Amino acid sequence: MREPKTYARNYEIPEEELTYSGSVSCPGCGATLAMRYALKALGSNTITVIPACCWSIIAGPFPYSSLTVPIFHTAFETAGAVSSGISAALDVLGKKDITVMAWAGDGGTFDIGLQALSGAVERNEDFIYVCYDNEAYMNTGIQRSSATPWMAWTTTTPVEHPKEEPKKDIVAIMAAHRIPYAATATIAYPEDMIAKFRKAKGIRGSKFIHVLSPCPPGWKSEASDSIKLTRLAVQSKVFPLYEIEHGDKVTINVWPKDGGVPVKEYLRLQGRFRHLSEEAIAAIQAEVDRNWERLVVRAQRVMGNE
Amino acid sequence: MKKETEARVIVFTSEAEMPMMPASVASTLYNKTGSWRYMRPLYKNQTPPCNAACPAGEDIVMHLQLTAQGRYAEAWETLVRENPFPGVCGRVCPHPCESECNREYLGGAIAIHCQERFLADYAAAHHLSLPTTNVPQREEQIAVIGAGPAGLSCAYHLRRMGYQVTVFEAGEKPGGMMRLIPEYRLPKEVLEREIAAIIALGVEVKTGMRLGVDLALKDLQGYAAVFLAIGQSVSRRLDVPGEDAVGVLHGIDFLARVERGQKVDLGKKVAVIGGGNTAMDAARTARRLGADVTILYRRSRAEMPAIDEEVHETLDEGVKIEFLRAPVAVLTANGRVRGLRLTRIELGAPDASGRRRPVPVAGSEYELEFDTVIPALGQVADLTFLSAEVQTERGRIITDEKTATTRLPIFAGGDAATGFGTVTAAVGSGKRAALAIDSFLRGVERPFPDLAQNVQVAPRPHDPNVVRFEDLNTAYFEEIPRPPQDQRPAAQRVTTFQEVNLGYGEDVALAEARRCFSCGTCNECDNCLIFCPDVAVLRGPSDDEPFVFNYDYCKGCGICVSECPRRAILFAEEIKFNDQ
Repeated sequence: MREPKTYARNYEIPEEELTYSGSVSCPGCGATLAMRYALKALGSNTITVIPACCWSIIAGPFPYSSLTVPIFHTAFETAGAVSSGISAALDVLGKKDITVMAWAGDGGTFDIGLQALSGAVERNEDFIYVCYDNEAYMNTGIQRSSATPWMAWTTTTPVEHPKEEPKKDIVAIMAAHRIPYAATATIAYPEDMIAKFRKAKGIRGSKFIHVLSPCPPGWKSEASDSIKLTRLAVQSKVFPLYEIEHGDKVTINVWPKDGGVPVKEYLRLQGRFRHLSEEAIAAIQAEVDRNWERLVVRAQRVMGNE
Repeated sequence: MKKETEARVIVFTSEAEMPMMPASVASTLYNKTGSWRYMRPLYKNQTPPCNAACPAGEDIVMHLQLTAQGRYAEAWETLVRENPFPGVCGRVCPHPCESECNREYLGGAIAIHCQERFLADYAAAHHLSLPTTNVPQREEQIAVIGAGPAGLSCAYHLRRMGYQVTVFEAGEKPGGMMRLIPEYRLPKEVLEREIAAIIALGVEVKTGMRLGVDLALKDLQGYAAVFLAIGQSVSRRLDVPGEDAVGVLHGIDFLARVERGQKVDLGKKVAVIGGGNTAMDAARTARRLGADVTILYRRSRAEMPAIDEEVHETLDEGVKIEFLRAPVAVLTANGRVRGLRLTRIELGAPDASGRRRPVPVAGSEYELEFDTVIPALGQVADLTFLSAEVQTERGRIITDEKTATTRLPIFAGGDAATGFGTVTAAVGSGKRAALAIDSFLRGVERPFPDLAQNVQVAPRPHDPNVVRFEDLNTAYFEEIPRPPQDQRPAAQRVTTFQEVNLGYGEDVALAEARRCFSCGTCNECDNCLIFCPDVAVLRGPSDDEPFVFNYDYCKGCGICVSECPRRAILFAEEIKFNDQ
């Protein structure tokens, strides 16, 4: 194989591929790309735990696998518990160089698996918990979850009655457990994402990474827009990239360029938001601005102390 | 599990063959998801706007990309493969490439002319010789008439194809109009070096041979083909009374005398008439000889054909420009110029050239005193020696897009045929002729675009679609300003003929090349490889094919197409490939 040229490269990313082609993810799937980056960062000495979610399917039907590392398929609500058990077993065996990564969707994290997850991180079990968040139960037919954004269309929140509740702030819930590391990441920023997975790997205890993952069928977006959408999510501050260490130290990793872009640019590429009125968009913008200011204040408090 | 590289289909024929628990034993490579695809991504370089705009057909993006990697010698070779005069063109070309550059919207167009000059100067400093081609020598003798940029470019390209070439030049030295470009814009050393390099390839140049005087067209019958590149050598006249007085000196005659080192007595006050580059050259040269110079131009600033930077530099050097003025008579005393009678002008409706037509204002005439009057109204070709077989029209030799005249095997190019009026266009015209003569002699067909477009000797495979700013993914580009080029201060300039523009140093040239978007041209930024969810983009086998798609698995999501910053990937309907 030819050595890559470096003069025009946008990223420094490991060459090794630990995911296979041929998985049955939809074209333009953000969660599939997220797994590719995650394993590039963590390397082959990794065990994954996958509860019921899109990735239960993407990982391949028996007897095939789309990953080169071991996968434990588990029940919907159990990712936190199973990961704790594997971590404990490795401890007993004296295997300290293996990373355990739970890989769950937003349904298995925000809703169904929250109890097991809370229990595991409260005990500060040594594993990385990744929530790839496509903002609804996509695999079963786009039903709303508590990760679905306010006013979004899903099959259970049709445009006549779009979702009335705001998205749950899962990173705040995790930070409230005072775990050593909680972070957000997304696929348009692979270097940031890989750095966060590597950082998590180097920390003992519970690590939580929240990855925004576009779902073209569920978001009613173009498959080719998946990177653009997550870039806009970050640039519009809908999904800021930050990390919280020990529940307290907030660092913003990517600052929007030139003050950012309006949320409208992010929303208008997605059919699930097509019904939004100008007033609703203005309300979303106001909410996003408020959340961003709060985040900046927390980050600046840290910067001021240092 | 060891990583698999090939698809394996698992079939259990009995319960005993199955694993104890439902564990996977093979990879998903068995599942050829490429069959889902209805749109197919394709690596296909597009045409960068600079390349499309270059009259000499240079592969600008490619030499910028090589410069960006510090591969200066290869960058220079890429340049001279299409144009043997990078040192000249980097200094005097009006750079239409930069007018089209997409960088304009994010910090300013790439300073392509400075890059070209940097490479030429680098090659000179490192004594690089023109790359030789490894082609068999051909017996055919070709005659080129005129050793200007068109003739020498044609001779260069023909020689590289293996032909025996003799160039007949009327003047004492080769160079044509390039020789009249003043030293402060184009040091003679640069011109001599580039001409000498062409001669060193084995091109014969016979000077002092004027067609129609020292040699006739029928004397050239022994040659397999003739290329007429005689340029435009006759100055346009003012057509006003008194114009033959002593002290009226046409622009190119004045510049030629200065070039030959002859003393020219200009007196104190000099008027230059015209708004083109020759007018600027004459005015700035007269200024350097100590005169008080005024340019008189019959239209306004917007219509001036001279290069914008040239006009600025001219004004900086203390030359005055009076717009909307035209001479009605040269005033004389004892057969010598004493001044001009001028009329004020108004601009009327646009004429055939698209510029507004100058109309004299009645009763607005006035007189000014001058010691010398230099008309610089452009030139026309002297075609009087041509036989009726080589047809002309409005002062130009008629040719088709293959530069063929009405009498084969006579070809024609440069200003005498095209009238484009720049060195770069002449270089392109000579190259087109070389390719056409080669096609003609070998009896091979070759596509020749319209004369307004350029031709390339060694085109890279690319799509003719020109990349525009809206085609780029600008998320990957920062706004970075164009670095200024160092210039000698104006006060110092007017006392010397030393070069005004000082060019880019290596650091600046390298940074500037890296600012290039590389429109339509893959430069291995890796975006397509990194953003493919399905690991269906692989590193390719060679520099010509840096990436390949694995169509067995590519689902056709199009992420690579939209995340390519420079539009080097096309998206085509899969149905078009069904019969392949």
